[in-house]
Formats: sequence, C-alpha cells, structure tokens
Amino acid sequence: MPNPRPPDDDSLFQEHRSWLQLQLVLLICRFTPTCPEVTRILSLGMDKELPLTMRIKLRIHYLMCSFCERYAKQLKYMRSVAREFPEKIGEVSDAKLPAEAKERLKEALRQ
Amino acid sequence: MSLEPGVIRDDEAKVAIKRGAAAPAATDPERWVDEHGDVLYRYALERVRKPEVAQDLVQETFFAAIRSYEKFAGQSSIRSWLCGILKHKLCDYYRKRGRETSFTDLEFLADECAEKFVPEGYWVHMNGPKEWRPEADEVMHRDEFWKTMRDCLAKLPERVSTVFMMREMDEVESKEICAALSISDSNLWVMLHRARMALRECLAMNWFENPEVQD
Repeated sequence: MPNPRPPDDDSLFQEHRSWLQLQLVLLICRFTPTCPEVTRILSLGMDKELPLTMRIKLRIHYLMCSFCERYAKQLKYMRSVAREFPEKIGEVSDAKLPAEAKERLKEALRQ
Repeated sequence: MSLEPGVIRDDEAKVAIKRGAAAPAATDPERWVDEHGDVLYRYALERVRKPEVAQDLVQETFFAAIRSYEKFAGQSSIRSWLCGILKHKLCDYYRKRGRETSFTDLEFLADECAEKFVPEGYWVHMNGPKEWRPEADEVMHRDEFWKTMRDCLAKLPERVSTVFMMREMDEVESKEICAALSISDSNLWVMLHRARMALRECLAMNWFENPEVQD
C-alpha cells in the first residue's frame, strides 16, 4: 500500500482517504456487472469475442474481485485439459471393447 | 476398383495404400482394431454413455477409415486420424438424435449455482474460487486427475455434457453445434455456461481443493 499512514497521524485527510476508497469501490460496483453476470459473460467470451467496453469493465471488476479473475483463468484451464481428454481417457480408462465385438468387427473388415 | 459401396477388397486396399503417400507400418485394418479399438471405444463411451451405441460408433469409424484410407496421406498418426473420424460420427449421431427428440425447456432453465452468490451479486466469500495448482500442463500427467474429470463430466446432465464436449473436445464451432442439435445460440450459451460452472465446482471440490489430493 503506497503512503502508509503513520500510526500517530489522525489528520482529516486520512479519514477522507478511506471514504474516497469506499466511494471508488461503490462506483466500481455500480459500473461493472455483478459476479453472477460476470461468470455468464466470461463463458460467452470463451466462444465469442467480447466488445472492448466489456473487456474494460471486466478488468475494472477484477480490481475488486479476485474470485472472478480466478474464474476466468479456470475457464481457460478447463479448456486446455478438455482438449487432452479424448486421448488421455483412452489411456487411463479400463473399459474394453467386448472380445466378441472385436471379432465381429475384424470379420466384417476382412471382407 | 470395385464399384460396390461399402465393400473394399484387401488387394484393392493394398494397391490404394501403395499409391498413397508415406504409408505407416500398420496398414492392416485388423491391427487397427487391436491397437486403437479400445481407445476409440473409451472416448465414445464417455460421450454416448451407452455401450452398444459406443460399439456401433467404433464400428462405423473403422468402416469409414477403410473407405477413405487413400485420402489419409500420413499427415498425422493413425490414432489421431481415427479419432477425427470418430468425432464426425459422433456429430452425425447427435444430429440424427436431435431430429428425433427435441431439447426440452427444462434443460435451458438457469440453474447456475445460485447458492454460490449472495443476493447483492457477489461470491459468498468462503466459497469463492481458490487458486488451482499445479498448472494445466503438469496436472495432465496424473492419471487420477483424468478419472476425476471423467467422473465430473458424468455428473452433468447428458445434453449439457454433449454440448460441452462437442465444443471443447471435438472443437466444433458454435454455429455447427446449433445446426447439428437444432438449438438456438442462446440455448447453446446457457448450456455451456451451466457445464463450465458445474464442472469447475466439481473439479474444485474433488481435486484442487480436496485435501486428500493436494498433499
């Protein structure tokens, strides 16, 4: 935190400053979407490009909400693991084509 | 070349293969079944959740592979090529089902974990997303993670998981998904949002925030 308040300083300016911070946070609250809305917007943003004004609003929202910022990162995280899922589940799962299904298939392919 | 549809003789296939580009070693379709059959089956099973349907799709995949082997000039591994064919077959399967049964409105109702938020519109502080460790490229090496992910996907309502997997795993464009399943853009986005929200919660609870896993 820049300019930390000295312990014995009780000037009016310092009191004003935390009021200003409060007003800023309230302004951010009014100006940016709510967190449930942000999660919907972020999901949409995974498939469509969001307009610049919305991307700015999201950045401002993240200033006071690290949860939503993490949610955005986690959507991307899930996308990158999902891409590997088809191959990985092929290696890790223990389901098997029933032996007779395999035989029937090979038989059909031989023709 | 024989003009009978669906029947390709071994000798024809071998000629086609010689004519084709750099042919990899396993050109015998029966070997394909042994080497790739289970892998294809496992993914198909996660998608359609019914063993008989999964078997049919795997069969269709191999037949289509034989028919189009000429076009496969070895640009990728046999396995990725076969997986690509399977993804198309899955899309066809859903397209066909979409016409027979329509998505009900219930599937579109907002159910986006309302209890994770306070009425004023913020996350409930104690339950908000926590940092995920390790990074994606590291967690991918752990077999248990994939089992957890599979279990989480299995918990999603079927249609919601179909849409999510078509988008994120088959990498089908949104427009194509809508066309194949006969749903609107907004239906799609509601379902994708539900899928992502629920999957995130499930992975957080069972993996990233699970003290038994994160030791």
